Amino acid sequence: MDDQHLLDQFFTHPDCRKVRSCIQCGTCSGSCPLAAEMDHAPRELFALIRDGEIDIALRSNTPWYCVSCYQCMDRCPQEIPVADIMYRLKQMAIAAGCQPRSHKLPDFYRAFADDMGRNGRMTETHVMARYSLKHPMDAAANMATALKLLARGRLDLIPNRTHHPAQIAALTTMCRKRGSDS
Amino acid sequence: MTVYAFFPGCAYQSAAGYRESVDALNARLDIQLQELDDWNCCGATAAFSLDEPDGLALCGRLFALAQKEGFSRIVTVCNACYTTLLKARKRMEKDPQKLAAVAHTLADQGLELADSLPDVRHYLDVLVADVSDVLEKAAADNGDTAGAVAVYYGCQYTRPWISGPDAQRPRMLERLFTKIGIHAVDHSAGTLCCGASHAVPYADACGPMIRRIVREIRNKGGGIITTICPMCQFNLDAGQTDRQTDPLPVTYFTQIIGLALGIAPKDLGLNKLLIPLRTEKKKAS
Repeated sequence: MDDQHLLDQFFTHPDCRKVRSCIQCGTCSGSCPLAAEMDHAPRELFALIRDGEIDIALRSNTPWYCVSCYQCMDRCPQEIPVADIMYRLKQMAIAAGCQPRSHKLPDFYRAFADDMGRNGRMTETHVMARYSLKHPMDAAANMATALKLLARGRLDLIPNRTHHPAQIAALTTMCRKRGSDS
Repeated sequence: MTVYAFFPGCAYQSAAGYRESVDALNARLDIQLQELDDWNCCGATAAFSLDEPDGLALCGRLFALAQKEGFSRIVTVCNACYTTLLKARKRMEKDPQKLAAVAHTLADQGLELADSLPDVRHYLDVLVADVSDVLEKAAADNGDTAGAVAVYYGCQYTRPWISGPDAQRPRMLERLFTKIGIHAVDHSAGTLCCGASHAVPYADACGPMIRRIVREIRNKGGGIITTICPMCQFNLDAGQTDRQTDPLPVTYFTQIIGLALGIAPKDLGLNKLLIPLRTEKKKAS
């Protein structure tokens, strides 16, 4: 998909259109607890998009580092829904197949979606197990905590389930797709 | 007795004594939370990040379940569930086409989604708005006490739903605590972010966020942290790995309120915390 098409797609969305009114004050970047980890903090990301660099925006780790704390959205003097726009960028990146390879969060979200697709509900132990298949080091770091949880009867080995998990899987395209993979 | 539709969310059952303490308060305060039959995961941040229609469909099913049982509001105990449901509600109310699409999908499974979507409330709202007078009367003089409590609201309870000073420094729970004889300390870390689910893949980046919250609370004289969300409780409880200082116990607000009502610590699931909480009998005044 060419950049112009992606740009049009971005600016067609009512939330994203508000990026045009950004005054580049940087309040969003200053409020963001994970700005230091981002390829481009939100202010810079918006400048790039307005310059037509949608491809850079979609490939950047920025939206994936957004932790949905909504500080930026609460403080933006132009009332730009910054965090909501990050969600839109994540969805566009997934759809266009251009999320950053080095980033681990899409794997975590997929582990979450897989578990939900299979059981209708999420069980932390199972999400961690699925995620660990791709990122074993992260699992190793959590072993001590896992043992403490086990000792307190808080490690769920049997998954949480709805009556008919297949219904939940059928309900969402995401879950339908992921459910048939497994 | 007031009956509320209850969406417990996935993290509730293995949370450190959240269910035990909520059940104990309900019994004492005559509140009935009726669990939505066959509830599903709300999708949290994951579903909305991957695909918006999926996120809407998951929440839409919960709204339909509540409507089927005749409820006009849903009570949650988790900030992520709370914000996810409110977000879905807002999106569908703003755009009738989105609501129609979800209703259509649900109809295939024999569920009806009516236009008037249920309101979403946190259990904290129920305690503050609906039963604070009952709570005040129920406060015990002879219960256990644990010291100075710092409220940690986390992100998604106030933002992006409230604007102005309350979005950054809410005080509703501190006011409730004061009414029932709990010492609440004033601090400015109440709505800083704990890292939420990013704390799993990005433990190194989220470590400083957790330390900053705990340090601010300790500096302002807090001896116990209390939370209103399973994710916040877990991150702060499991994330205090600094060996230089004694860690601060991280509780649920329902456990702290339970103690003030004279409910025994063992009935509040306090034994499930990773960092133990020490309580003592209140001295007779």
